[in-house]
Amino acid sequence: MKRYLEYLIEWIIKGCGFISAFIVLMIVLFLFKEGISFLNSSPLEKNYGLFVSVNNPVRKLTDLQIKNIFDKKITNWSQLGWRNDSIRTIDINNIESIFTKEQLGTNYEYLSICINHYIDSIPGTLAFFSERLLSISSGTKEIEVDKISLWSFLSGEEWFPTAKPASIMGTLPLLLGTLIVSFFAILFALPLGLAASIYLAEIADERIRKILKPIIELLSGIPSVVYGFFGLVVIVPFLQRVFHLAVGETALAGSILLAIMALPTIITVSEDAIRTCPRAMKEASLALGASHWQTIWKVILPYASSGITAASILGIGRAIGETMAVLMVTGNAATIPHGLLQPVRTIPATIAAELGEAPYGGLHFKSLFALACMLFLITMLTNIIAERISAKRKLS
Amino acid sequence: MKLSNLFLLSALLIISCTNSNQDKKNADSKSIQLKGSDTVLPLGQKAAEAFMKMHADVSITVVGGGSGTGITALMDGNTDIAMASRDLKGEEKLKFQEKQMNLEIKTIAVDALAVIIHPENKVEKLTREQLEKIFTGEITNWKDLGGDDAKIVVYSRENSSGTYEFFKEHVMSKKNYASSVLNMPATGAIVQSVSQTKGAIGYIGLAYMSPEVKAVHVSYDEGKTFVAPSIASAKDKSYPISRPLYYIYDVKKTEKVKSYIDYCLSAEGQKLVQDVGYIPLM
Amino acid sequence: MLAFPKNIDQIKMRNQRIMFWIARGISYSIIAILILILFFILKRGIGVINWEFFSTMPKEGMTKGGILPAIIGTLYLVAGSMIIAFPIGMLSGIYVNEYAREGQVKRFIKLMTNNLAGVPSIVFGLFGMALFVNQLNFGASILAGSLTLALLALPLIIRTTEESLKAVDNTFRHASYALGASKLYTIRKVVVPIAFPNIITGLILGIGRVSGETAPILFTVAAYFLPRLPNSVFDQCMALPYHLYVISTSGTDIETSRPIAYGTAVVLIAIVLFVNLLANFLRNYFSRKVKMK
Repeated sequence: MKRYLEYLIEWIIKGCGFISAFIVLMIVLFLFKEGISFLNSSPLEKNYGLFVSVNNPVRKLTDLQIKNIFDKKITNWSQLGWRNDSIRTIDINNIESIFTKEQLGTNYEYLSICINHYIDSIPGTLAFFSERLLSISSGTKEIEVDKISLWSFLSGEEWFPTAKPASIMGTLPLLLGTLIVSFFAILFALPLGLAASIYLAEIADERIRKILKPIIELLSGIPSVVYGFFGLVVIVPFLQRVFHLAVGETALAGSILLAIMALPTIITVSEDAIRTCPRAMKEASLALGASHWQTIWKVILPYASSGITAASILGIGRAIGETMAVLMVTGNAATIPHGLLQPVRTIPATIAAELGEAPYGGLHFKSLFALACMLFLITMLTNIIAERISAKRKLS
Repeated sequence: MKLSNLFLLSALLIISCTNSNQDKKNADSKSIQLKGSDTVLPLGQKAAEAFMKMHADVSITVVGGGSGTGITALMDGNTDIAMASRDLKGEEKLKFQEKQMNLEIKTIAVDALAVIIHPENKVEKLTREQLEKIFTGEITNWKDLGGDDAKIVVYSRENSSGTYEFFKEHVMSKKNYASSVLNMPATGAIVQSVSQTKGAIGYIGLAYMSPEVKAVHVSYDEGKTFVAPSIASAKDKSYPISRPLYYIYDVKKTEKVKSYIDYCLSAEGQKLVQDVGYIPLM
Repeated sequence: MLAFPKNIDQIKMRNQRIMFWIARGISYSIIAILILILFFILKRGIGVINWEFFSTMPKEGMTKGGILPAIIGTLYLVAGSMIIAFPIGMLSGIYVNEYAREGQVKRFIKLMTNNLAGVPSIVFGLFGMALFVNQLNFGASILAGSLTLALLALPLIIRTTEESLKAVDNTFRHASYALGASKLYTIRKVVVPIAFPNIITGLILGIGRVSGETAPILFTVAAYFLPRLPNSVFDQCMALPYHLYVISTSGTDIETSRPIAYGTAVVLIAIVLFVNLLANFLRNYFSRKVKMK
């Protein structure tokens, strides 16, 4: 009986190990299911199309061209490789300024006729309508729009997910923004955190340590919203003054804030790692005549390196994924960052800010899941790299 | 050993949790749920609080998350009333049609948007055309608008917020924002940023107006008349940038939600609208 | 090689002094920054803290009254997520350190749990929304929120369990085996009791992290206003971090609700402080007990 119980418990333990590993696969499954499905769909609203006259030789438009046309930045067909003729856009919103209610019918039953006629008579027309309302006549053709490809998603330089008629989903600025903010955050935080953890674990008196440690642990509990508000009120104006900037909401503000936020995690975890160094090893080193500092540097730190790597992974994870604080201090402008002193927009901030308003199951919604997939892959990549590094060090 | 005690404890806790499951969701008819736009949130909450004071048997839950969240929840039957600061989008309308749900859309208040700048900025008034050029990135320096030689820093709400869409449609003639525009997650953050950045411009709901920032006078007739945003000017419609706030619900649930919505539209409810800082309908 | 030993010693000691001062300086400046932030919050929030603040419902559009439902909600979420995450996390940690043999499987599991640790909280939020709220149809509820938060805390608990088991000297295990104890018995009676104080640290860190997270609960459980306390795991609830986020960002009367926002932050910090003190106390208590044995 007892043996069976033991057997059972051992199986439960093993089961838990596998469940934990399995969760990651579940996340992959669910995120990617939503995220991938949006690739290869049209950036236009579902069932909508762009229509022009058959005489128009333009067959294809990119999402950026469409945006520029409707923003009146492209106003002439000659810019798109046709004759010199101005582009007239017509859609459901301005249709009533062109046709009367009687012409269109109460339920838009004559809309098709009106539009086809309009396109026939004014060849420079670009019409944007639902395919349900508009049946195409012989004088009209539909323009092809590039489908969203993985490449355009990753390399696009503009992020206008709610642009009409075609959403523009280029994630390059978001990706670079995320990377620049978290990279510098960890660059600031790691040396500081390491120094502090060495101090706490090896140098400080037990008495001082007992005071400092709870304070640091306590600070990992401050909600990120509070950090965000602190950043907005203190750090942002400070940077503005010091660097004489027009805007204080910059990547630097985000990095500093994230560094502060990641510090408690890094300090706590690496201090624990340093403490696991066996006493025998330390004493052996000291007995050979090494100073305390040499022991720390040559014996303890190498021993604790895997723990410290773990600390920095946790730190990076927290930095890359930190949402609320970054949302408040980096300005969230979706432009490609050229330096630290510029506003940036990060991926988690984008997800948190946009998910609530995106229609469920729509293109925008799915693109946010795709962003989450990207975020997941980035963190996975950093983990694997960190793993490799610590594995290599153990071998040498 | 401590360990087994711990497991026992957690098992007990789990059991006690599941026990309390059983008395779940009994008085459903008397509980109303509101979900959606963060702009409407404070209003819905205040009205709910006042309403429940009069009707002790009704309980009203108010949940935020954004207009999209609320409308989705309405679609799935997870909420009774969706709060929205924007109209239904095309895809959403289609989905409601597929589900054969007939919606009632009630305007419960009006929100006016004030365009704000740093109080030390000399510029007092702007036309709609100028605003369009500022937010699309065509004008980038205050000296082109009669101010000092300083870079314009444009603050906007997040690209998914109802406010963002509204401003784009009614001020920028549907053109897209410049991508260098700074998007702030919340109106409070815009006020904070504009108050500490000299070259800043942004837009906020009138309710958020604070003495730390200055509202510009806006003209929609190419500079003939400029109007300052205020509750009075929004009420008589002389201030041009204002938008309705909605409660959306399924016609089938009218009976359940009617008394609450009627209360919101009553004189008393509209007084709350004014207290919160929005513009009452009457 | 043949330099004067005295000189080497002097250099050694000088270096040590310099490095120690740098480490000390950095530590104190970090503490100073952190205390500055803490002071910044306390100064603004301490004024509203009184018994009424803890024990009453919010009033007048969140500008007055207390935060009772948010406190209760956070307690539910913390308890719910820990009930799920702590046993699973601890057993997984035991599995990884004690059972899994070196090789592909162990490497795979370690890689996976490490990856889980790096997954950003907003991704957990999205996952929770896709799986628990929509797929399993729990709706936005305490159950969905607790499960999401449990996933978030899981890697933390696994990792600390693993590290603290690793720190248990192998001689203990060998001694136990030599006395004829089985593997499970050794783990139960020798290894885990020694490591328990440190395992508790993982639980504490988990509680600290879970109680302050906003992003995972945003779409899985959080409610802005509830007229009553939740009475089942399928209800939504209010939670402190979300409450803080939402009243400091939305709400038109930011100035009047600001004290409440800071007060909420103070309460959150107080919870974390309390939990940490408890952890320290438990840690000392257990380690003394182990030593006495």
